[in-house]
Amino acid sequence: MGKFVLNVIHRPELLPEYIDRSAQAGQHEEVVGESLDIFRLQQEMAHRHGLKTTIQMTYASLFNRECIGIAKEHHEKFGDEISLTFLGIQCKEFREKYQTKELAIWLFSLEDKKRITDDLFALFFKAFGFHPTSTGCYYMDAEHVRYIKERFPMVKIAVATCFEEGPRVFHNCNNSWYTLLDGGPWTAWVPSKENIHCIARDASDDIGIVAIPHLSRDLLASVDSPGLWFGTHPQNILRGMVYEGDQMPYQLNMIDQYRAMGAQNRGLGYNMVFVGPGWMGKGGRWEASHALCVKVYEDMLSYYGGLKKSGELVDETMSEFADTFRAHQKGYDEPLVGLWKDILFGSGQQVMWYADPFFRVLVDLKQGGAIIDLRPYVAQLNRPVGVGTKQMQNACYPYLVQSHYRAGIFTHYAGEGAIKSCKVRYGKEEVELANCRTHGKVVDEGNARTLVLDPVTVEFSGLTVGIQTTIRFPQGTGEIWFTRKLVSASLPQARVEVDDYITSCHGTNEYSEDLTGVTLSLTGADGKVESLDYAYRCREAAVESVREAAAVVPQVQSRLSLRPEGTAAGYYREGYMFAPNLTLGLKKTIGLNEELTSCLKVAKAK
Amino acid sequence: MSQGRKGKVNYRCPVCFEREWDMDMLWDKERDEYYCYRCAYVGTEKDILARYQQFKTRYRDRLKRFEMSYFD
Repeated sequence: MGKFVLNVIHRPELLPEYIDRSAQAGQHEEVVGESLDIFRLQQEMAHRHGLKTTIQMTYASLFNRECIGIAKEHHEKFGDEISLTFLGIQCKEFREKYQTKELAIWLFSLEDKKRITDDLFALFFKAFGFHPTSTGCYYMDAEHVRYIKERFPMVKIAVATCFEEGPRVFHNCNNSWYTLLDGGPWTAWVPSKENIHCIARDASDDIGIVAIPHLSRDLLASVDSPGLWFGTHPQNILRGMVYEGDQMPYQLNMIDQYRAMGAQNRGLGYNMVFVGPGWMGKGGRWEASHALCVKVYEDMLSYYGGLKKSGELVDETMSEFADTFRAHQKGYDEPLVGLWKDILFGSGQQVMWYADPFFRVLVDLKQGGAIIDLRPYVAQLNRPVGVGTKQMQNACYPYLVQSHYRAGIFTHYAGEGAIKSCKVRYGKEEVELANCRTHGKVVDEGNARTLVLDPVTVEFSGLTVGIQTTIRFPQGTGEIWFTRKLVSASLPQARVEVDDYITSCHGTNEYSEDLTGVTLSLTGADGKVESLDYAYRCREAAVESVREAAAVVPQVQSRLSLRPEGTAAGYYREGYMFAPNLTLGLKKTIGLNEELTSCLKVAKAK
Repeated sequence: MSQGRKGKVNYRCPVCFEREWDMDMLWDKERDEYYCYRCAYVGTEKDILARYQQFKTRYRDRLKRFEMSYFD
């Protein structure tokens, strides 16, 4: 199983966001006292179970002698790391100095981010006599992290994004809070200098820190529901109501699945727990009582502690983990892999997440191995957020495929939504492979990871065939190779047409963006090129023997292409306003034990 | 009708929760009933708890403890 590393991060928010309104209403002393008590309790629990922590000091806590004293004592006694967070900046001292109630560091102007960074690090140095080597927030844009590295080069790790507010983020946040951060990796990565979501392509692009996401999430439940219901924080699970009475086995199942994921990642599994005091107040959280909040956190830490005792877990501080991760990754293009199995809905469904410097990909095995989410990291889109930026609060990384935002395989009236899938035809009949549920496993081939799917049975009138899909990710290429093989046929001489296609668009949410400016092209085997500029006119073109079908999407500086191994027909389709996507496809007629192998390549548009 | 106020438990609206919104509710002291800020839901504590229980049925494995072999 390899090494399973745990980071437990406690932040002594003395005025937690959840109860800060009470503080503003004049109950400042009571709130600070209660928060400190909860922080003490959380620390005591972790230590009692043999776990060291990372204490992320907040702005307010750096003015509190008692809290500083606890951090120093626990550093000495338990080896806890004293760290610094940009969460919890709001307090009396901050308001007086900055004259604002803004609470999210990523939403300040870059100028203010720099001021607050200098201020916070100076306060920390004054309190402890050294600078922290780890930091974090729910989101930190690349511009901010680059500044931190420039001023404080000793920082080597940060909580940099939150996976996965997920595709439901705009709906779930509902403009009631602004953590619009969809699109990053689900586990540790080395970010690009251009965009914190993207994985650095090489040393020159390395932003200089290891990034970790806020919490480890259920990688299936987060696909279509708020990630904040399903993370390694009991508050998440209470929020999602995934418990009965005081029983919450789900959180232990989630931990175990992350343990198992080490095998997919060359022996390194990782969990992070990141809690403040707010959810554990005397008033309880939502429907959960204080006693229940305490009990489920105790259960979680007890489980981690037991794993440590049995040698199945290593507790590290954030900075220790930065070193562990850097040592483990053998190259910048070493991928992150997450094949996840349902532990919640009783469906048996699997999804596979894959990320490297070229893209983040989500494969849905319930949909026959269709790609339902594709983010072009290779484009390294520079998207600072906050006051004075074009993106404002929208810190999401754009997609080229997002089936949950943009319909996917099912549409009511016309066309297809965004998806990468395959159709199989026999006579006048057509079957969509996304309608064929399957399961699979990840095979590490050394220079590639391959998702091998179980064959699916496709039934036509008078013919039943078995089709097996494999999806191969050659390391460091930006390519995904799909093989659709006819592995059985009730009529051995029968031939079926396989149509491997991608339906794509761009955006960061559920609203369609303008595709004007997109170019579609088809290059025949003879080198002849046919192309069009997207104008929603439902045009299409096809060639019998294709070298490549391609789309350039300048809005996200990306180029998508499909090319066959061997001979195949190719086509593009423009789409129209009621079906606002582009389609690229390859077709080939195959018989028993024959296959269509094709390559989807994602590149930065020139 | 009396002023809406926080109830003894911070129940979230069960109808909005089905739609993945955490909406707090207000409690009407005179009628001893809760009502939602956003939608037209109104109900007693008993009704809220029954709806929560119905919501949880989507989590068929919420009480199941998987063996490690499940993840192989």
